[in-house]
Amino acid sequence: MLTTQLLVGALVSGAIYALMGAGLNLIYGTTRLLNVAHGDLVMLGAFVSWLLFSTLNVSPLISALLVVLVFPFVGLLIYRSVFTRLFQQKLSAERIESNSLLLFFGISVILQNVVALTFTNTPRAYQYLDTVVGFGDFGITLNRALALGIAVFAVGGLTLYLTRSWWGLALRAAMQGRDLAAIVGVKVSLVHELSVAIAFGLAGLGGVLISTFEQISPFMGFTFTVSAFIVVILGGLGNVLGGMIAGFLLGAVETLGVALTGPSYRSLLLYGAFVLVLTLRPQGLWGKR
Amino acid sequence: MTERTQNFVLLALVAAAAALLPLFAGSYWTSVGLELLMWVCLVQSWFMFSALTGYVSLGHVVFFGLGGYITAVLWGKTAIWIAVASGGGAAALLAIAVGLPCLRVRGPYFVMLTFGLAEFVKHMVINIETAVDSFGRVLIGAPDVRYLFWAMLAIAAAAFILANLVRFSKFGDGLRAIREEEVAAETIGIPVGRLKAIAFGLSAIVPGLAGGLMVMRAGSFDATYSFDPLISLTIICMAIIGGGDSPRGPLLGAVLLVILSELLWSRFPELYMVIVGITLMVFVLVLPSGLSSRISRRKKSPAPTAREVRI
Repeated sequence: MLTTQLLVGALVSGAIYALMGAGLNLIYGTTRLLNVAHGDLVMLGAFVSWLLFSTLNVSPLISALLVVLVFPFVGLLIYRSVFTRLFQQKLSAERIESNSLLLFFGISVILQNVVALTFTNTPRAYQYLDTVVGFGDFGITLNRALALGIAVFAVGGLTLYLTRSWWGLALRAAMQGRDLAAIVGVKVSLVHELSVAIAFGLAGLGGVLISTFEQISPFMGFTFTVSAFIVVILGGLGNVLGGMIAGFLLGAVETLGVALTGPSYRSLLLYGAFVLVLTLRPQGLWGKR
Repeated sequence: MTERTQNFVLLALVAAAAALLPLFAGSYWTSVGLELLMWVCLVQSWFMFSALTGYVSLGHVVFFGLGGYITAVLWGKTAIWIAVASGGGAAALLAIAVGLPCLRVRGPYFVMLTFGLAEFVKHMVINIETAVDSFGRVLIGAPDVRYLFWAMLAIAAAAFILANLVRFSKFGDGLRAIREEEVAAETIGIPVGRLKAIAFGLSAIVPGLAGGLMVMRAGSFDATYSFDPLISLTIICMAIIGGGDSPRGPLLGAVLLVILSELLWSRFPELYMVIVGITLMVFVLVLPSGLSSRISRRKKSPAPTAREVRI
């Protein structure tokens, strides 16, 4: 019984990780920008949902829709105002990556502290669909079930989009070879903007989903950034599909690890996995070097 | 006069003046001075590794925190200077131990790795402290702030001298060659692996020592403060704001950010961090070679190399 219960927990966090990893991977894969503010976008989505729920009693489902529609424009705004300037500096590819990391670090610090300034540091939570439903020998709260469903739906939708549509084909082409894609007629700048928009939308959606069943605080983003990076590196940078599998893998490792050791070891496990993955297999589980 | 001699003369004058500060100023300004010196230590040590090799460390706080932790653990068991020195030694050992696997990873991977490593060690220390049930070690009988100031001044001066010795030496030339083109450097026979590991180890000693002194200043050890990732961020900000390819640049950045923090930190900590974030972004985008390159350009000194600080 315990194991089925753990499996469900692993599925829920795995789906959320896959969702976050997919967004991070899209941005990196196409633009080579290292978005270390990804977790803070998740935080921002969570705060939007909490604010709307606690002041106007707006359902998180509507917040999710709102965030998915609005966040892409936030992403485009940041991309156009900040990162197109970075590309104009004509630096080596490696320096663009390192500088983008520093720029996103700046954005991350700004986001965290603006939210902390507005809403204080107090952790927030709200109750939404927190009744437990049982299926056979295990139970799950409705909000988690809903989050699992929506995350799987979003990740699945993204997969279909990437593999079955022209736009997805262009996106994957731009990931594999930017210059070659441009030669065969892919408008690379448009693809960049598209992937930034999708990634921001997915991050915000992840935040809304998390806020329905977990406490939120302005500085919660760091951990999500780290787990998203683990997922992306394990799955292979730029490999969106591999990242999704890695997301579920990390969810399983984390849930089982915490169950075996205890909740206070959660961060230790997470960062331990991060360090191990980066030193042992920076090219990912499937990558060759 | 070579740049190195200039820097040493500058150091002698400033250090002599600074040493008199605790005699005239009250304890408030002495502790502000202590804080400034701490940042000078950190940013100089970061310079001698990251600015020279181009391997950006986003986890330098791990050495600072470890030094503090070792000092707190040894507190009361040995003489103070042994405790602090062990902190510096432990930091260097950690750097060499993790440096061997980590330094094979380049560019952004290395940046993320150092960050993750610092957080990993932080949580490890937190878990150890919870396990042995001694959370919040109190350091009873820590020296007065004036003595800490003088000790920190000595370490900062040593850090500045070390940074200059490294920068203007064959060893430093090797490190800069790694920064410019690692593969080429290796091809012409520079032992890149050894150089990087030594530089990483060297740059860890000073933060280890500074961490020990700051734990005495705080009077107790708190892992979330000593291993605060924002310390690493601030170091990078200072180095970028100052910029340049000489240890003088980061010095300028440290002074500017400490003034800013003095004005804002106690009353509006979040606002201060927002400003730090904006400053970081502006410098990366607009002035990636830092303020000192601007100043030296105006003085018409030999052409400043705009690309020289590689972040």
